[in-house]
Amino acid sequence: MRTTLTFCGTLASMAARALTKGVWGLRNSRSVAVKCQFATAASVKPNQSQTDYVAEKILKLPLEKPDFFRVSELFSLKDLFDARVHLAHKTGCRHRLMEPYLYGSRLDHDIIDLDQTMEHLQLALNFTAHVAYRGGIILFISRRRQFCHLVEGTAKDCGEYAHTRYWQGGLLTNANIQYGPGVRLPDLIVFMSTLNNVFQQHVGIRDAAKMNIPTVGVVDSNCNPSLITYPVPGNDDTPAAVELYCRLFKMTINRAKDRRRQMELLHGLSAPSTPNV
Amino acid sequence: MAGSRLERVGTVFTRVRDLMRSGVMKRSQKPLWYDVYEAFPPKRDPVHVRPLGRPLPSRLENVPEIFYREDAVRARFYEQYGTGPRPFDLSRSNFVSTCQRFVNKYTELEKQSDLDQQVLFLETAKALLAEGVVLKRRTALPVEESREPALELNPSDVAAEQSPADSQQK
Repeated sequence: MRTTLTFCGTLASMAARALTKGVWGLRNSRSVAVKCQFATAASVKPNQSQTDYVAEKILKLPLEKPDFFRVSELFSLKDLFDARVHLAHKTGCRHRLMEPYLYGSRLDHDIIDLDQTMEHLQLALNFTAHVAYRGGIILFISRRRQFCHLVEGTAKDCGEYAHTRYWQGGLLTNANIQYGPGVRLPDLIVFMSTLNNVFQQHVGIRDAAKMNIPTVGVVDSNCNPSLITYPVPGNDDTPAAVELYCRLFKMTINRAKDRRRQMELLHGLSAPSTPNV
Repeated sequence: MAGSRLERVGTVFTRVRDLMRSGVMKRSQKPLWYDVYEAFPPKRDPVHVRPLGRPLPSRLENVPEIFYREDAVRARFYEQYGTGPRPFDLSRSNFVSTCQRFVNKYTELEKQSDLDQQVLFLETAKALLAEGVVLKRRTALPVEESREPALELNPSDVAAEQSPADSQQK
């Protein structure tokens, strides 16, 4: 059983997650034990391989379809435009590496290419959904004080984690000493804003790359997108845009988790019927 | 567990893949996201890019400036009439400002008739007036208004003015 991680954020959700993880693990082992009681010694092996086969099927099936969780239905180009996602900073603040994602500059204001943003956002949401489906820990990071409460609320609603306060140097890189041995680190980090309060790149991006954790991040025109695994070029300053991102991520993660419960029930029901044949 | 903290060498995926290939990381220790990344890779490999020491002169040409043909009309409108009588209401996405109405009328008249630019401009203004939009010209130039009348006084003139006044009072 993997120990769960504590972050200075939502403790209630952590407790809830620990409970659900514990219940899932317990249910799996309990069902195997029940089968062993009523079966002969010879048929014990096929039952175990069957559960393995079922577990593999649950994990492999979603990867074969391009949009298993139908995340592309959650947003449209008009939604992005209405939320002012295309408005970036002034031309003087532009980062060199963001130039391929820009549509143009209108009177010194950079405009982000929303066609590219659509594709990137679809990839990012799809990846998040798959990680949530597999029971991965997702950490939301945003150092913008304006949206700190919103991001924490979003994390609480999906049952995941958030970190919107001062980032202590060894949070990820020195986790075993700061939190205790055998800590489980997040499997995905989502940045609602990749900059910290002094307009430098957030330390979490470099630390996540160091600890081999993939990142999803909203990159504005003054950010560096090179180390982020799935960047989403878009506005990170307007409340409307950040609310849109929070809503989308919350819906994707909840959808993925519901789908997982559905798949488990589906395959969990079909597995016991086969040994009787 | 084995790991590789070299964030400037390759991507997260390549490092984990190579650790597994070399046998340092066992198959059972494979991270959760590995299969997902393999199935759905990002558009660009998240490799670290070294920052340039000196900004290249060609950086300005990569992002084109957005200009439309109607911008010429808009520039003339703002020069003559200022921002227009009605304030901008950006909360509505289908809002049409006075300037935009002017531009639409201008393009309409341009398609219908083949007149000179200046004449078209005046025609559009007349047409909008007929519809009920009052356009007030910008009368005083802003440069003149900023001059303080007090700054133009000379101290000697003030003294000269005051002394006859004092002599009169006595």
